[in-house]
Amino acid sequence: MTDTTARPRPRRSLATRIPLFAQVRSSIGLQRGMLVAGLVITGVFVITAIFAPLLAPYGFAQLRADGTPFGAQEAPNAEHLLGTTVGGYDVLSRVIWGAQTAILTIVVSVILSIFAGIFLGLVSGYIGGWLDRVLVVVCDAIYAFPSLLLAIVMSIVISGGQSNLFGGILAASISITVVFIPQYFRVIRAETVRIKSEAYVESAKVIGTRAPRIVFRHVLRNATRSLPLLLTLNSSEALLTLAGLGFLGFGIEPSAAAEWGYDLNKSLSDVTSGIWWTSLFPGLAIVLAVLGITLLGESLNDLADPRLRGRRAALDTGAPAPDNGAAPHGSAASGQAVVADDRATTNDEERVS
Amino acid sequence: MTAELSSPDPASAAPPAVLRRGSSSGGGGLGRYVLVRFLLIIPTVFILVTLVFLLMRTTGDPITAALGGKLTGPQLQERIHEAGYDRPLIVQYLEYLGNIFTGNFGNTLSDNRPVTQVLLTYGGATLELAFYALIVAFIVGIPLGMVAAYFRDRTPDAFLRIFAILCYATPVFFAGLLLKLVFAVWFQILPVAGRASTGAELQMQFLQSKTGIYLIDAIQTGNPDVIGDVLSHAVLPGVALGLLTAGVFLRLVRTNLIGTLGTDYVDSARSRGVTEFRLVRKHAYRPALIPIITVIGLQIALLLGGAVLTETTFEWKGLGFQLAQYLQARDFVAVQGIVALLAVIVAVTNFIVDIIAALIDPRVRY
Amino acid sequence: MRSASTRTTRLVASLAGTAAVALVLAGCAGGSNGGSAGGKAITIGTTDKVTVLDPAGSYDNGSFAVMNQVFPFLMNTPYGSPDVKPDIAESADFTGPTEYTVKLKSGLKFANGNDLTSSDVKFSFDRQLKINDENGPASLLYNLDSVAAPDDTTVVFTLKSADDQVFPQILSSPAGPIVDEDVFSATELTSDEDIVKGKAFAGQYEIASYDFNNLISYKAFAGYDGVLGKAKTDQVNVKYYADSSNLKLDIQEGNIDVAFRSLSATDIDDLKGNDKVKVVDGPGGEIRYIVFNFDTQPFGAKTPEADPAKALAVRQAVADLIDRDEIAKQVYKDTYTPLYSYVPAGLTGATESLKAPYGDGNGGPDADKAKSTLAAAGITGPVELSLQYSNDHYGPSSGDEYALIKDQLESSGLFTVNLQTTEWVQYSKDRTTDVYPSYQLGWFPDYSDADNYLTPFFLTENFLANHYDNPAVNDLILKQAVTTDPAARTALIEQIQDAVAADLSTVPYLQGAQVAVTGTTVEGTKDTLDASFKFRYGALTKG
Repeated sequence: MTDTTARPRPRRSLATRIPLFAQVRSSIGLQRGMLVAGLVITGVFVITAIFAPLLAPYGFAQLRADGTPFGAQEAPNAEHLLGTTVGGYDVLSRVIWGAQTAILTIVVSVILSIFAGIFLGLVSGYIGGWLDRVLVVVCDAIYAFPSLLLAIVMSIVISGGQSNLFGGILAASISITVVFIPQYFRVIRAETVRIKSEAYVESAKVIGTRAPRIVFRHVLRNATRSLPLLLTLNSSEALLTLAGLGFLGFGIEPSAAAEWGYDLNKSLSDVTSGIWWTSLFPGLAIVLAVLGITLLGESLNDLADPRLRGRRAALDTGAPAPDNGAAPHGSAASGQAVVADDRATTNDEERVS
Repeated sequence: MTAELSSPDPASAAPPAVLRRGSSSGGGGLGRYVLVRFLLIIPTVFILVTLVFLLMRTTGDPITAALGGKLTGPQLQERIHEAGYDRPLIVQYLEYLGNIFTGNFGNTLSDNRPVTQVLLTYGGATLELAFYALIVAFIVGIPLGMVAAYFRDRTPDAFLRIFAILCYATPVFFAGLLLKLVFAVWFQILPVAGRASTGAELQMQFLQSKTGIYLIDAIQTGNPDVIGDVLSHAVLPGVALGLLTAGVFLRLVRTNLIGTLGTDYVDSARSRGVTEFRLVRKHAYRPALIPIITVIGLQIALLLGGAVLTETTFEWKGLGFQLAQYLQARDFVAVQGIVALLAVIVAVTNFIVDIIAALIDPRVRY
Repeated sequence: MRSASTRTTRLVASLAGTAAVALVLAGCAGGSNGGSAGGKAITIGTTDKVTVLDPAGSYDNGSFAVMNQVFPFLMNTPYGSPDVKPDIAESADFTGPTEYTVKLKSGLKFANGNDLTSSDVKFSFDRQLKINDENGPASLLYNLDSVAAPDDTTVVFTLKSADDQVFPQILSSPAGPIVDEDVFSATELTSDEDIVKGKAFAGQYEIASYDFNNLISYKAFAGYDGVLGKAKTDQVNVKYYADSSNLKLDIQEGNIDVAFRSLSATDIDDLKGNDKVKVVDGPGGEIRYIVFNFDTQPFGAKTPEADPAKALAVRQAVADLIDRDEIAKQVYKDTYTPLYSYVPAGLTGATESLKAPYGDGNGGPDADKAKSTLAAAGITGPVELSLQYSNDHYGPSSGDEYALIKDQLESSGLFTVNLQTTEWVQYSKDRTTDVYPSYQLGWFPDYSDADNYLTPFFLTENFLANHYDNPAVNDLILKQAVTTDPAARTALIEQIQDAVAADLSTVPYLQGAQVAVTGTTVEGTKDTLDASFKFRYGALTKG
């Protein structure tokens, strides 16, 4: 079902074991273009975040240099390459520092959702019984609820109304986590249920190996097909929710951190007054960051799915036949399989509307 | 038994193997499946309502929200006590459940309106917006998805896929702002925001059978100017929200078409010499439609679930927008009412989608 | 482009026409065909929110704005003045120390034809006290003991404490609208629908159609015979916006005639340069100030290094350093003006008590002075000050406002400011429970009297709960409230401001202006942007 299990291990060269490199190599044409574009944009985004203190000309909450105030809504000039905001901040600096806030939120939310989701999914799938049923119903209920609204409630609950940097980041990322746990949960749980009854697990039980460990190992290995897509979705969703919260006024305050959604919200009235630079750049930053991450996720997903991989590419790399007969051949069933991935996509796309 | 609950909706993220296994081990007929799925609606709604009840109580009370800037601490405490918000949570919770079971949703706390009326008024608006958005999504998403599948891995496909991702990556408030600037300020061909202009709204005010769904009300007035006015107001929000969904449809149609294009059934058609274009249009399209239908069902539920950002950007006073307002006012009653309705809508839509899926493909039943 | 825009105009015109016909058909005798007082219908846009129409159930600006158009008051502020005069009353006077007698005009009617008599007046105040709704303004009637209606036109209010000079003002406050006893319930809130259906209106306007928080259509009420005079425009529509940038675009594109409350500072600044609209401003009653908690501020009474003298020095240093002009200009583009006292300019008795003693003595900041103030009190090294503000209650610019204040205090090198923000509900709880050493607050008055800016704040038991206790100030405030001679009362009010300015319980720094943006043909806006802080649609006309 996945490349990892299908490809014989010993033949893998060092280069192919570097994450993503193998994918770039195995891709071709358009798909390689999309993958590389996604990698580049995401890379720039991450590097900007890491080196924000070096790259940004000013601090994110800095209002004056050498005792003279920047002034509000100054047009782009030599001192402020992208101008200043209505509050008198330097736009370029806020955009750069904003990458840091965004990355922090993404990292925290992804880590939290992965751990909680995988743990719950394994437990639920392996133990089964009433615990499983309760968890499934709870997850379905939360999954069905518009995430931004849930995020608003959660942000009020979690931060207790406070909005310092970590309060804000935690509020945004935990609220996104709450929404994403059910999705990891579904994938992992289904996989666990399937593998639990596979022959090799049964036989492992017989020869006395601890079954949970085997299930855990196999689940994770097999889930790597759907996890990358979910991961990038989770990331872009985290970013969009953070921006949405900021836009609705539930986000992080400007003196605590730079946040693109907040800056966009503040610059709404600027646009209609002909001040374009305060909204354009944070807006573009959001669009580009999400675009990069989504491109990356989609390309990886395509490459992992033999049916979507480019026809010639599939031939070139000798695409493995789907392992253990999991990939269905009936047309309707294959539709189901495809929709399974896209459903996750679907939901999230609608979430921040 | 675990298989029965393994994925309450067949189109979920469960890998296909589970579906197969489920189908082979499942015993009961369609009737039993329908019943089980129907009963599952109840806990889903119950869990959400309870969750919201608890969360709301931990975030403060409506009295402080409204009058914290006017009254002293003791005065606030006294009013909170009179309203009963300082009683033990469990007492308030039981009282709330009791009210719901007797069909009493109460009056909103911040503006003293019957919750049922709030739901009807704003539900209509949201329904209307969802309708326009779906039209846009269908018109844009499905044909473009077919085109992308046809030109798979070639330049048009690349552009269309990037377009789909951009639809998703652009926050709706940013897109909305740009749309307003271009069409309302520069070209002045569309209104800025709102659901109708003052004159049209006034005319609809005096209708005997007001529905709250402006398009229907406008048709009732029989005045083409009013209808045109209402429709022109629907364009920008419909497009902004519709494109978001169109991106989903585009991708979905493309992926599923490519999926079915590779199946034995289509392969055999291809071997009979059917042209590739005809393959997309006739042979591959039909099977691909099934998963698309299930996703569309879910989309409708989510669109109704409140497009907060779109509604806020375009002054479209619907459920999502109103829910955000009531949240800020800590209006427990209103929030719980709206959430309950949303939960019911989502659960029922899921239910219907599952039943349709089960009818189309018996293997999903288990 | 040109043709498109004219097409829109034509569409709007045709809609307005058909709407007028619909109004007439619906039995609301509009008669707005340019004849009598008439005038063209005006459309006003606002971002205010209405909660409930019932005066007993709401205590917010958005709802009160509607009540001011449709309900009569016993006392009201005429155009252009901060002081109250009898509205639908002939006279209103103290007939004894605790007895305030109001004589109604005779023959008053509600829009539904019911007589408006002293019995309605008694009913209105009795139900305020009886319902005492948790969102209502009943607490304003703290001094009202009972109401009597000896005959159809006489109302006698019996007060708890004698010679209350504020009571006439309270009759013009959110607790004062007079309602119809045949439409309203005596014991519970009456729904908006019942009020509109029952036409229980007797102000300058009645409501012709009501679409909650979306569109209210008013038509002039011919039976109004009060101090404001008849409405100058027959039909007024008010559109409610959720987002101020949409309001701005609509007024800019000419889709509405008036935009009042609240456009952002950037919007107003931009519209000032647009010759298709007029920007009109008047004094505003809204003030912003920083509160110090006398227990928990640096060197406060409950801190380890408690020292009243040093605590005062810290407050004085803040007052020295704050640059009001810069805040008003940079953050608010002069839609707010610097405030140098506790009572805002425009009200009787307002001073500039903080101007001379603090800063450069001329309104500007003075870092050297702050430095020497701190040094004189024996404070060395930067003072750590925790400053809290609410990001969602006082408009969208609070964040920028407080970032700038933090910057002003820190750039002197005398302070290290720990700036935090909290969402409003939590904020309201925390501020009264000594959580914040210093914090932002704002105030919008209930009635246009200096008392409303002093009594709630500087009595020993006060709304701020900041442990400020000056018995002399306390006594002066109680005294001014019962001083019958206006000149003597004004002198007391000035004295109170000077005394509080020396203690610095709070540091006031901004006063909001009322700003309306109108189309070029709209007149009369200036008349109603006065120190009554009530925006009356009846003053507006459109040419």
